[in-house]
Amino acid sequence: MFNSKNMASMGQNITGCLAVILVSVFITVGCANNKSPVTSGIGTSAMIQGDDFSKHLEVQNADLAKKLVISDVKSRKNNGLLQVNLTLTSRYEKSQKLQYHFNWFDEAGFVIEVGKTPWIPLELQGKQSTTLPGLAPNINVSTFNVYVRAIPEKAYKY
Amino acid sequence: MNKLALVTTLGLTLVFAAGCANKAVVRYGDATAVETTDINFGSTDLQKVASQMTDSLLLSPVVGTLTQNTRPVMFVERLKNKTSEHIDTESITDSISTKLLRSGKFRFVDMGRVEAAREQLKFQHDGGMVDPNTASQFGRQIGAQYMLYGNLSSIVKSNQDKSDVYYKFTLRLMDLESGLVEWADETEIRKTKAKESVGW
Repeated sequence: MFNSKNMASMGQNITGCLAVILVSVFITVGCANNKSPVTSGIGTSAMIQGDDFSKHLEVQNADLAKKLVISDVKSRKNNGLLQVNLTLTSRYEKSQKLQYHFNWFDEAGFVIEVGKTPWIPLELQGKQSTTLPGLAPNINVSTFNVYVRAIPEKAYKY
Repeated sequence: MNKLALVTTLGLTLVFAAGCANKAVVRYGDATAVETTDINFGSTDLQKVASQMTDSLLLSPVVGTLTQNTRPVMFVERLKNKTSEHIDTESITDSISTKLLRSGKFRFVDMGRVEAAREQLKFQHDGGMVDPNTASQFGRQIGAQYMLYGNLSSIVKSNQDKSDVYYKFTLRLMDLESGLVEWADETEIRKTKAKESVGW
């Protein structure tokens, strides 16, 4: 039943399999940090004061949209400045590390204070809902948009 | 045949290991993105503190009344750094005063440049090179009505698995004539660093 030819070919197959496994392991270990993180998120298009936010929702990251939903965006004028409240609701059981950002535009749609509004970090616990404030940098702002994305958990190499 | 497979495996492994070796790559990043390099006070903390404090000041009803018809003149006193770290607090006050000035609601006088201004005025009047009709006059500067001052403190705790740092930043606005504190606010930041058991 077991001749020497068969035994030899079985040995070769096992060595081949091992080789493939070893190489895969080394690739995985060696390049584990090389994956670029997903940096797209969810947000809204430009809105004016009092706009219905549901018409402006934009999803660029379907995975994040499954875990997180923009449940309200309110805006009003306060001391002459456009004040925005963004409500985020988690649909996920675990906590999520996120960052959010407002962009501000004047009446003609030109961006105001570009590159000066920071991304603010936020930790949202499982199924938590939270309201985040935003305030226009000056009185010329009439439209705004908002964007939310995840903070990459792992340090990564380019 | 066995040897061939072994050599191929080793060769391929070496090639891949070399391919994944550290290479120095220089890139520009987003200066406003969230930075989590370590637990110390970082750019994200500075930006968060400055933006929250400015927003809170601009939204307060008292400031709404103060800035209704005028742009009050303020000066910023140095922030006291009571944390255990070296933090450039002037950078925080710079960010706050720049944001407030750019909001169009306040004006500022800069106490850090008084000597330079005095020297320039002296040159204009005594240097004999400037037309006296165009020289800026002594004693015409506008006095500050309000003073902005504050503290930055921290509580640091750690055990062998976890470090936790808590920053508290307090900012106050004082009416210089009456000495009344017209506005005050605090903002807090908590950062934790924990070891993770799984690598990827």
